[in-house]
Amino acid sequence: MEIKKRNEAGHSIISLIGEVDLHYSPRAREEILNTLKDKQNVLIDLSDVSYIDSSGIASLVEGYQLSKKAGQSFGLLNISNAAMQVLKLARLDSVFPIYSNIDEIQN
Amino acid sequence: MGYKEHFNVRPADLPAPPQAAMQILRACARKEVNNKQLAELAAQDPVLSTELLRIVNSAYFNMPSDIKSVNRAVSILGQRALRNLVLCISVRDSVRHNALPDFDIGGFWEDTLRHAVAARLLAEQTGLDADECFTAGLLQDFSLLVMCFIQPAKAKSWEDLRKLDPEQRYQREQQVFGITHDNLLQLLCQTWSLPEELSNVLGSHHNCNTEQLNDKGTSMCQVLYLGDWMTAVFTARATGECLRRYQFLADRLIGLKQEQADACLAAMPEQVERSAETLGLNISQQPEFEDILTQANKRLAEENMSYQELTWKLESALAEQDRLSAALDQELQIAREIQTGLLPAQQDPSFPVSGYNQSAHELSGDFYDYFKLPDGRIYFNLGDVSGKGITAALMMAKTSSLFRCLGKNETNPARLLATISSELAETMVRGMFVTLTCGLYDPANDQLKLVNAGHPPALLIADQGEVKQLGASGPPLGIMPDCQYEIETLALNDARLYLFSDGLIEGEYAPGKVLGVSGLAKLLHKLHDREADELINILFSQFMTQSDTLKDDITLVMLENRTPNA
Repeated sequence: MEIKKRNEAGHSIISLIGEVDLHYSPRAREEILNTLKDKQNVLIDLSDVSYIDSSGIASLVEGYQLSKKAGQSFGLLNISNAAMQVLKLARLDSVFPIYSNIDEIQN
Repeated sequence: MGYKEHFNVRPADLPAPPQAAMQILRACARKEVNNKQLAELAAQDPVLSTELLRIVNSAYFNMPSDIKSVNRAVSILGQRALRNLVLCISVRDSVRHNALPDFDIGGFWEDTLRHAVAARLLAEQTGLDADECFTAGLLQDFSLLVMCFIQPAKAKSWEDLRKLDPEQRYQREQQVFGITHDNLLQLLCQTWSLPEELSNVLGSHHNCNTEQLNDKGTSMCQVLYLGDWMTAVFTARATGECLRRYQFLADRLIGLKQEQADACLAAMPEQVERSAETLGLNISQQPEFEDILTQANKRLAEENMSYQELTWKLESALAEQDRLSAALDQELQIAREIQTGLLPAQQDPSFPVSGYNQSAHELSGDFYDYFKLPDGRIYFNLGDVSGKGITAALMMAKTSSLFRCLGKNETNPARLLATISSELAETMVRGMFVTLTCGLYDPANDQLKLVNAGHPPALLIADQGEVKQLGASGPPLGIMPDCQYEIETLALNDARLYLFSDGLIEGEYAPGKVLGVSGLAKLLHKLHDREADELINILFSQFMTQSDTLKDDITLVMLENRTPNA
């Protein structure tokens, strides 16, 4: 898994790339939590996720829960088919704010 | 070993000898070549022939009169010696014009000459061809230099490598360069058209017992390997250890008594200096062997002391680790017993629900449960906690207890899950969650109410093979308070309902194959006339035979109408 970060339209965007599994999700979690700590609005770009397991989903859930407590915004951006299947199966698509592109947020 | 196995080195990356030298090396590899032809080849390259004559006339060869032509040199020296000389010059010149920045080339030549001289000294003790061993020794570390050229960013690590003993160094080379010097040497020998015999010796000197070698080859191998340890006495940090190891190996491999072995070491500094002069290489003045020996013995005393200390510390650390791991094992065993106790007891055969759980680790994140309400209806569930190990087991215990406790008073399964979810969300950490499917079944009227919270679909499979997938109506439990779930109401009739954990659809069922939901449905239908216990045994044994250890927990719950008049 690879992690890339960028800032766009007032959001910190964290791209998770490749397989987000038990081995790599602690890294994703750390990145998400650190970015939230900096009081930023966070978007997780999942366009290049080829696989995500429950530990990866848990990192997203934790980010979402923390952002709600702190009053920051948190959402998922450009979800790949592989990741979307997992989210839909578990009905998590009804939990996270989901955007297909950055313009959707501003509107 | 062919170069194809070394993905990081291609023959084209390797340095090549000058053209005339290459032709001489190739010609020497053929049997029918004569001295005149060799001399003509050498004459094509004035630099090479001048250099050959300079070396032949140097003090080392101690010729009675000046040799003025290469032709004469070849006839006096013989083709073998000529080949060795050409090789020495080629090795030397292949790098001279390409100095690496940050690379102590003088130090490198020193070590290279130490290898060469060590091999020659040992050859004299064992009756091997001294010049041939000298040349082989000269090539011994050459591949390392080549490695530094191919990966210049790592050239600096040579300084660390030379401070290690030969065995440590060998392992480190693999880590740093992705290849060891003996393997690269074989490749180099192919490119330089060196005889196979030499190539085999160089390629196996860290593994002298290989079947590729004849007796002479094995002896040369041992000489080169010993030469590694002799060189290390002069360069490695653990001087004392290397000296002791060399003395031990010299005796065991070639029957050299300590006195002779030490005499070889003592002769090295002067011979290294002379060889450098002969080959025209600049090296610093060599330390005397007595100094090295004094230092080595001093270090040996120090090392002995620290080794003893280290051994004691290591022993007590290992004992402590054993104690802790035994304590942890016992704790896990108890936890496992408690966890198993949380699963429901086996019911009599007329009870409509059966369940089975096989844990991949000591503790499972999967669980299932079923219990009868006073009015005869039966609650059942199957859940999967995200994550593994102790944390998952603790959440499993909490969720399962909440379900059993609250379920006794809440007969709306959708509301039951919503309440459990809110309760879990209050205390859940690290984004953990629980996917769960539960049902409330009334055997009296064959009515089933099913709710799925973020879990893979339940499968309702009719006797005729019709499959209905019952997917999630809301998210997993514990993510947030106030989730909504929907009840699916249906009649079982002759169908069986299966709840399962993702280990069954994502785990390996056959080598390299996972079932997926539809694969599992097909398989379950094939087994639909088997009794629950039998079906479960067949299914689980298949997963267990794929590997000795399961990767994920697998859990299955089956519901069917078992009332006698059904």
